[in-house]
Amino acid sequence: MNALNHITSAIFDVLMAPWGHGVPLVDLSLWSILAAVLALVVYKRVSNQEGIARTKDKIKMHLMEIRLWRHDLGLVFASMARILGNNAIYIAFNLVPMFVLGPPMMVVLFQLEANFSHAPSPVGTVNTLRVTLTEGTEAKVTDITLELPPGVLLDAPPVRTPDREAFWRLRALAPGDHVLILRAGEQTLSKGWAVGGEHRKVPIKRTRSLEALLYPGEAGIPADSPFYSAELTYPERDFPFLPDGEMGILVIFMIISLVAAYSLKGVFGVSL
Amino acid sequence: MVVAVKSRTRILWVTALFSVAVLFPAPASAYIGPGAGFAFAGSLLVLVATVLLAGVTILTWPITLLYRLMRVGNPYKNAKTRRVVVIGFDGMDPKMAFRLIQEGRLPNLKRLAEQGVFRTLETTTPSMSPVAWSTFATGVDASRHRIFDFITRDPCTCAPILSSTDIRAAKRSLRLGRYVIPIDQPRIKLLQRSEWFWKHLGDKHIASIIQRVPITFPPKPFNGLMLSGMCVPDMRGSQGTFSFFTTRSEDGGTAFEGGEQTLLRRTDKNKGIGKSGKGQGERFRTRIVGPENTMLKTGGRMTLPMTLTVAEDSGSVLVEVDGLDSFSLKPRVYSFWKRLSFRAMPGVKVHGIARFYLVEVGEEISLYLTPIQIDPENPAMPISHPKAYSIYLAKKIGLFGTLGLAEDTWALNERVIDEQAFLQQANLLYEEREKMFWDALQKTKRGLVTTVFDTTDRVQHMFYRYLDPTHPANEGKDTTEHRDAIAQAYVQADELVGKTLAAIGGTDTTLCVISDHGFTNFRRGVNLNAWMRDEGYLVLKEGTTSGDWLENVDWAKTRAFSLGLAGIFINRKGREKCGIVAEGEEYRTLVTEIQEKLEALKDPKTGESAIRSVDIAESFFDGPYRFDAPDLMVGYDVGYRSSWDCAKGAVTQEAFVDNTKSWSGDHCVDPEIVPGVLFCNRPIVTDKPRLVDMPFSIMKLFGQEPPGYMQGRMIFADGEKMAEVFGVIPIDQLDQRGAVQGTMAHVDWAGNENESVAS
Repeated sequence: MNALNHITSAIFDVLMAPWGHGVPLVDLSLWSILAAVLALVVYKRVSNQEGIARTKDKIKMHLMEIRLWRHDLGLVFASMARILGNNAIYIAFNLVPMFVLGPPMMVVLFQLEANFSHAPSPVGTVNTLRVTLTEGTEAKVTDITLELPPGVLLDAPPVRTPDREAFWRLRALAPGDHVLILRAGEQTLSKGWAVGGEHRKVPIKRTRSLEALLYPGEAGIPADSPFYSAELTYPERDFPFLPDGEMGILVIFMIISLVAAYSLKGVFGVSL
Repeated sequence: MVVAVKSRTRILWVTALFSVAVLFPAPASAYIGPGAGFAFAGSLLVLVATVLLAGVTILTWPITLLYRLMRVGNPYKNAKTRRVVVIGFDGMDPKMAFRLIQEGRLPNLKRLAEQGVFRTLETTTPSMSPVAWSTFATGVDASRHRIFDFITRDPCTCAPILSSTDIRAAKRSLRLGRYVIPIDQPRIKLLQRSEWFWKHLGDKHIASIIQRVPITFPPKPFNGLMLSGMCVPDMRGSQGTFSFFTTRSEDGGTAFEGGEQTLLRRTDKNKGIGKSGKGQGERFRTRIVGPENTMLKTGGRMTLPMTLTVAEDSGSVLVEVDGLDSFSLKPRVYSFWKRLSFRAMPGVKVHGIARFYLVEVGEEISLYLTPIQIDPENPAMPISHPKAYSIYLAKKIGLFGTLGLAEDTWALNERVIDEQAFLQQANLLYEEREKMFWDALQKTKRGLVTTVFDTTDRVQHMFYRYLDPTHPANEGKDTTEHRDAIAQAYVQADELVGKTLAAIGGTDTTLCVISDHGFTNFRRGVNLNAWMRDEGYLVLKEGTTSGDWLENVDWAKTRAFSLGLAGIFINRKGREKCGIVAEGEEYRTLVTEIQEKLEALKDPKTGESAIRSVDIAESFFDGPYRFDAPDLMVGYDVGYRSSWDCAKGAVTQEAFVDNTKSWSGDHCVDPEIVPGVLFCNRPIVTDKPRLVDMPFSIMKLFGQEPPGYMQGRMIFADGEKMAEVFGVIPIDQLDQRGAVQGTMAHVDWAGNENESVAS
């Protein structure tokens, strides 16, 4: 997972270097178009193009039947049934490309979320660091200590719960990419906190489960660590006319990638 | 050719997708990229469209039913039949059908006749498909529907024009740099007058599906479905221009009649591989010439680059055309329809379809490309009503030929393809039309289905010489291999009738099998213009010889001329641009004089009478458009027709000439010689049914009163009139004058040994 996250992050960072994190809609659009192109290329190769075209033609033909013979209710119902049948066939034809395209597209989406869904914490803001210990580990939640960098202040004493969780309320006093150090016995864990400044990839969560794939902003936690996860919350990024944060990214990505794919399918000679 | 603006489908898709995403944001949370999105968007849109369309249809159905009941009541209340099916076999000849029935080769038509009737069906004057099918469509004669021929002359310019359709570019356009963007639609006008009878049926909510009836382009709106037939142009705006690519000729760019030849040049650089890297061997680069680019200020034809690469074993050719997946072509096999997309300007393409046929590969390479036809799935011009009907048909049965005269008779006439290739092409087209017909028949439980099949007409035109061993067109051509081609076309028609009888069995369906005219031999051509020059009626400008289209005619001295196949126009004052013949006595004297002379005209070579009758339009017709008719309708005798040159308005040296073209049978003769056929599963009330009676009778069968202007009469039992005419036509009622010389002359019509009835 770490390796995958490193590779994808490196690719993203290189590709994003020229335009940075300027206008999120533009950046997201570019990524969505790129994803659409990639999807078209793969889709053409892995899907049954002839079958899809044939099925779509049948669906269109039956839709026209409904329009042309609208006075014949029997025919309308028969055409509807055939459309639904062909729609199921169409979905079946899409299963293979869906499975093939799913993983790479998820990676792209996770990167987009890491890069665009949240804004850095504003200076002066209070954030809660939530740390969870791995089940069955010898370390106790009372053993965990937190080392703060300059510019970050402990706002209240930590709270530790019986189910292996500890919470620290922190206040950001200065902008920067701060590194918080957690210690549990001999083991340490660093956790980033992006405060103020330009939009950038924010380190939301470090975790050791498969969930780490969702948070490519930081490396995953090694398997032998007593720490299971360390998480900060960030304000969601605001997108005009769209839901904020993750949902906004999903909607933008969905619309732009689909529009791009449907617009470019002729260029790539793909039947969708 | 008019360039149509690209469809807005893509914009609709994008809008719909956006709407779905905005209206239903929830599914977005499950979105994992375009892969899933394609399935999601595609299937969701289908569901939304289906539910919407079906919902609207189901919800509005009771309202439309109520409206219909209030407006016209039950349209079938007085109907004598639930369904009328008219199968038109263009050019099916009663004598040929009779002969083949006698020989036992048309069992289904015989069965149909025994269930009802088989009689000759009086055709129109003149006996041509555009005229006759217009009469079938409207129920009136030529002087009322104004179609007298395939072509006529523009009285204002003397230039030839199509009788049926006027196509002009859009009136308003926007000039942008080197481009001219049409703002409104191109003007396509049907010149046929009167009203189609299925329009009247539609007004009464009687459903109709009309397929490929000639002279229905452009389609007019009516309450029913229609696919246009004869006179639908190809993408070049012509009635069919084929392309021929060959290494054989050294004079590349030769124009054929009805086609163009492009020389494939052999060079040392020709060895290599194709663009796609698939083919090995000799390679030729050429261009497919498409329609005129009306969006370019400078005009010119659009072209598509094409590369032909000969396979190493010389057994096939790899064809690579821009915008098309490359495909391998074996000799003497037609490709599927291929979609050719010509780029008019950035973002605008014009789509046509064509079939490729490799005539030969080896020492020489020759490739034939059918005329590029309007793509039924993306029509550049309207070819159906509603527009969606041709798209529906294309999705249902696959791409199909849309050209009016789709069987490429000129390619065979010019010997670009041979008889076998022509028959293959005709059969492929026949199969497409048969599929259309079955779909129409299956969809129409009540109402009218009419489909016209052209194969019988085209095959008789091109293969009649096989029936006449002494035909002038036989010289240098095969005379045995396809001797049975015409009979085969009739057998094919008979099989369709058999399947139709089985399909309609047990339903209250009236089945009519009709033809617009019969057929006869075409051995000798008569150039009426040459004859009129010799007689002093037509004068050429001094010191000139004639060209096509009445070139070099001295209009100040010419009193009569011929153009097309129907007859002679008088250069009348007040009608023609340079008219010199005054109305009244001068006109009457002239037409009577020409009529008498023509009726006495003998072929100097054979001594036979060439013309059987000449009708003077003014006394023959009484409709409002009789003034537009040729003034003298020339009814040729068996074996004769207006010569090829005369039809094009040329004045040749000789008035009589042998017809040496493969087009060796015809029907542009005295209409009495070439009646059509009527087979019906109902007996009729008259021994002499006429084509003009058909629409009248069909309306009556549906219990509808035909409009007063229709000239037909009811041929089926109605009121007190009993249907007493039934069964196969008695031999003495077959018009023997139409029997061809040669093979048909020896037909034993009555079953008597060695009795010849042809003379």
